[in-house]
Amino acid sequence: MPPSAASTEPAWTCPFCPLLCDDFALDAAGAVPALLGSDCPRAMAALRRHARQAAPAQARIDGQPASLDEAIAEAARRLAGWRQPLFGGLGTDIAGARALYRLAARTGAICDAADGDALMAGVRAQQDRGQYTATLAEVGARADLVVFVDTDAVSRFPEFLARCGFNGPGGPTPPLVFVGVPVPPGLPAAFKAQAVVASDDPFADLQQLAALVAAQRMRDAHPALAALAGRLRSARYAVLVWEPASLPAHAALWAEALQRLVATLNRTTRAASVALGGGDGAASVNQVFTWLSGLPLRTRAGPDGLEHEPLRFGAARLLANGAVDGLLWIASFDPSRVPPPGGASRIVLGPPAMAERLPAAPATVFIPVATPGLNAPGHLFRTDGIVVVPLVAARDDGLAGVPEVVARLAELVGGAP
Amino acid sequence: MTTYRLRGARLFDPTNGVDGQVRDIVMRDGRLADLDPRAPVDEEIDAGGNIAMAGGIDLHSHIGGGKVNLARLLMPEDHRRGAEPLPLPGNPLELPSCGHCAPGTLATGYRYAEMGYTAAFEPAMVASNARQAHFEMGDVPIIDHGAYVMLGNDEPFLQMLAAGEDPKRLREYVGWTIHATKALGVKVVNPAGISAFKFNQRRLDVDERHAHWQVTPRQVVGALARAVQELGLAHPLHIHASNLGVAGNIDSTLATIAALDGLPGHLTHVQFHSYGREGPRKFSSAALALAEAVDAHPNVSIDIGQILFGQTVTASGDTMRQAANADLASPRKWIGADIECDAGCGVLPFRYREQSYVNALQWTIGLELFLRVRDPWRVVLTTDHPNGAPFTSYPHLIRLLMDKAFRDEQLARLHPDVAAQSPLREMTRELSLYEIAIMTRAAPARLLGLADRGHLGAGAAADVAVYREEGDAESMFSRPSWVFKDGRPVVRDGRVVATPTGAVHFAVPELDAGVETKILGRRSRSLGGPPRWAVIGHDELCGCCNGGRLLPAACVARSV
Repeated sequence: MPPSAASTEPAWTCPFCPLLCDDFALDAAGAVPALLGSDCPRAMAALRRHARQAAPAQARIDGQPASLDEAIAEAARRLAGWRQPLFGGLGTDIAGARALYRLAARTGAICDAADGDALMAGVRAQQDRGQYTATLAEVGARADLVVFVDTDAVSRFPEFLARCGFNGPGGPTPPLVFVGVPVPPGLPAAFKAQAVVASDDPFADLQQLAALVAAQRMRDAHPALAALAGRLRSARYAVLVWEPASLPAHAALWAEALQRLVATLNRTTRAASVALGGGDGAASVNQVFTWLSGLPLRTRAGPDGLEHEPLRFGAARLLANGAVDGLLWIASFDPSRVPPPGGASRIVLGPPAMAERLPAAPATVFIPVATPGLNAPGHLFRTDGIVVVPLVAARDDGLAGVPEVVARLAELVGGAP
Repeated sequence: MTTYRLRGARLFDPTNGVDGQVRDIVMRDGRLADLDPRAPVDEEIDAGGNIAMAGGIDLHSHIGGGKVNLARLLMPEDHRRGAEPLPLPGNPLELPSCGHCAPGTLATGYRYAEMGYTAAFEPAMVASNARQAHFEMGDVPIIDHGAYVMLGNDEPFLQMLAAGEDPKRLREYVGWTIHATKALGVKVVNPAGISAFKFNQRRLDVDERHAHWQVTPRQVVGALARAVQELGLAHPLHIHASNLGVAGNIDSTLATIAALDGLPGHLTHVQFHSYGREGPRKFSSAALALAEAVDAHPNVSIDIGQILFGQTVTASGDTMRQAANADLASPRKWIGADIECDAGCGVLPFRYREQSYVNALQWTIGLELFLRVRDPWRVVLTTDHPNGAPFTSYPHLIRLLMDKAFRDEQLARLHPDVAAQSPLREMTRELSLYEIAIMTRAAPARLLGLADRGHLGAGAAADVAVYREEGDAESMFSRPSWVFKDGRPVVRDGRVVATPTGAVHFAVPELDAGVETKILGRRSRSLGGPPRWAVIGHDELCGCCNGGRLLPAACVARSV
């Protein structure tokens, strides 16, 4: 890196949402790291949760303080005894995912991310229909119409418009349309924004919009949807933004319909979709497991082979049914993402601040771990699924990272390879 | 490190002119050594009845990076057996990993090694996706790897070309991009066409202008070939020409060769670019025209991109052409992306059928090209994995090339019009083991500038594949007796016995002081992110590659 470039720009990347913003800085000197150059509420809330701890981080075995070595040894002993382990949360980065895959392969664990339902909605639509997507810079450079479908984006991804380059003076300000949701407050005045609310059924509205875009004749079409379909058809490059986690059950069906609509547009003009989600490591771990094994998450190396079960292997369901007897929960980005309830024995890898939030449970080994992008380096996939962003450590808390802890677990659990 | 002496194998080492003579191979400290036959070694191996070649080198195989992983995500059916899961590996050294046309990275490494290949190169690394490509290649065990970075559809380059900037500026930008992404070479895919598709252009001929930048593919190819030559990269510009798959595209392929203006260029998967429009179906073989052009242009090398029948998935940077073929997808689904003002990708499942006239003709065109081009040193055996067929079909392809009777048998099963009319029927050439060794080892090593690979001379890397000389070529090349990687056995009797981490090859062009600052200064926020992480450093590359060795290749600048 040339020093000239380094000195003029902030040297931090925010790991706390899948936009992975890299144009504001962090002052990590105080107890609560301070955001410089942004007032993103999501980042600030995350940083408050990562306030520097007064006491050194402490591993625990069933509530009792233990050394890191003791905790890892005990965790490995318990993990080796589980008949059907579940690896949940999966809040880690690419290096952590590489280590987790090896441990999962050895133990026959089922793996599911904390936001597994939302992740699988996208994955299943991708498997059945495919998709056409654009990355953030492409959206900024090309979109002449941005349609947010059943999400306003900025409630959960406050910097989205800025990340597309829509915030600068003289920058592009394409018209924004919000379908099924109100126009969010506080948009810059330069944007012309409009809400389209047809019914309270996201499936019916999307289906009707898709049919209108395909120019099928339709009686009693909703006038606002008909008008929007016309604008989509005449746009040079329309972008449809969606958020898997904002959708009701059977979101994969909805996502398929959206991709069908984009495909229809691409027959005559240009269009693409952007999905917002996959944060807290979910998308990154999904990518890594896919490239290593060939199959995405909700897969296990079971007795019959590599079993991929996008519905049956949902973590909440497995825990509720007592189908697993042990849970290895990894959540290195967010100390408030504690494991879901369920009777299974637990091993929890989380930031030190998670210790006090863990519900009292009889059998829990807690191992404090570093957070990539805060007190460890790392790599994550951005929400567009193509750009891998390097993360830097802003402070040193002397914590072991997930890759290291998991590799030690794998060594102790043994087995090939 | 254990030293080995392989005795009694017939060697095929075209780089050193060895054509089937029985000679010892000695491996010491990861290298081949010229050792007195009486000098002791740790292990003597009786390789009588075997042939030995350098480890295979695949210079064009989509093994890692965004579109490859999208192909895996798109094809869950490739990772199960009907409704049942695929069984776990029987070999305890292998981690679970599966897939036929879109295998996991782990399976990719195991299967390549099991065929005697020791290196494969990802031909289409998108600059803004370079980290993912290196991560994935780092997770391909055993074999060495490297990648060519895609240029010629990225906005900084098109903008500079449109502005008529000094070739020196273009060269600096190309050199810096190679440095930043740790690429071994440069590839252009549908020159300017991927970008044009973002502006809704649906085709772009070699002399047609990009609607926005007003540059032509001819200009892009010429400028990039010059930059690559001046930078001193060993591998010529790697070219996926305009109009892939289009009837009559031989015209644009020949025009692309002309656009090189005598500069070195490697035309990739030429099978997809050698179509005429003769005959009642307006779709015909133009293999003869291309072969004659290759014979007449010593600056041109090719790989074939042979198709073989069955299910595969096509993963390409060429969004324009993939979008055009979307309705031919089988199963009917596809993935496309416009990427970061930089590039694009399109992923389409495809099933090549023997009874399809077009597919059958494609099959014959690829084989015609293999057999027609006179100089095997400028022809590399590829299927453009997975686009023409998965790389695991190489042994079958080798048999087709070596065995006229077998080839005729296959031809007879194809669409009757193709079977009856193909010039392949009259082509009696059968490639020799020596020629196969050229097309699968020696030539790709030479074309990539890997002086210590692809041959069995003293000092070369001890990457050696040993095959039992029995049965047909397909069974022989499917199951090596031994494969050595850097002097260590990694396969025995077709089964993986060790899984070391492969090395990464990348080029190190000379960059003038200040070039980086200049380029970063005017680079927009596109192309993946801010300047501070634009460059993949050696430490980061090492992390991506799982601690595999870094093999930088120095470049010596040349004038054009």
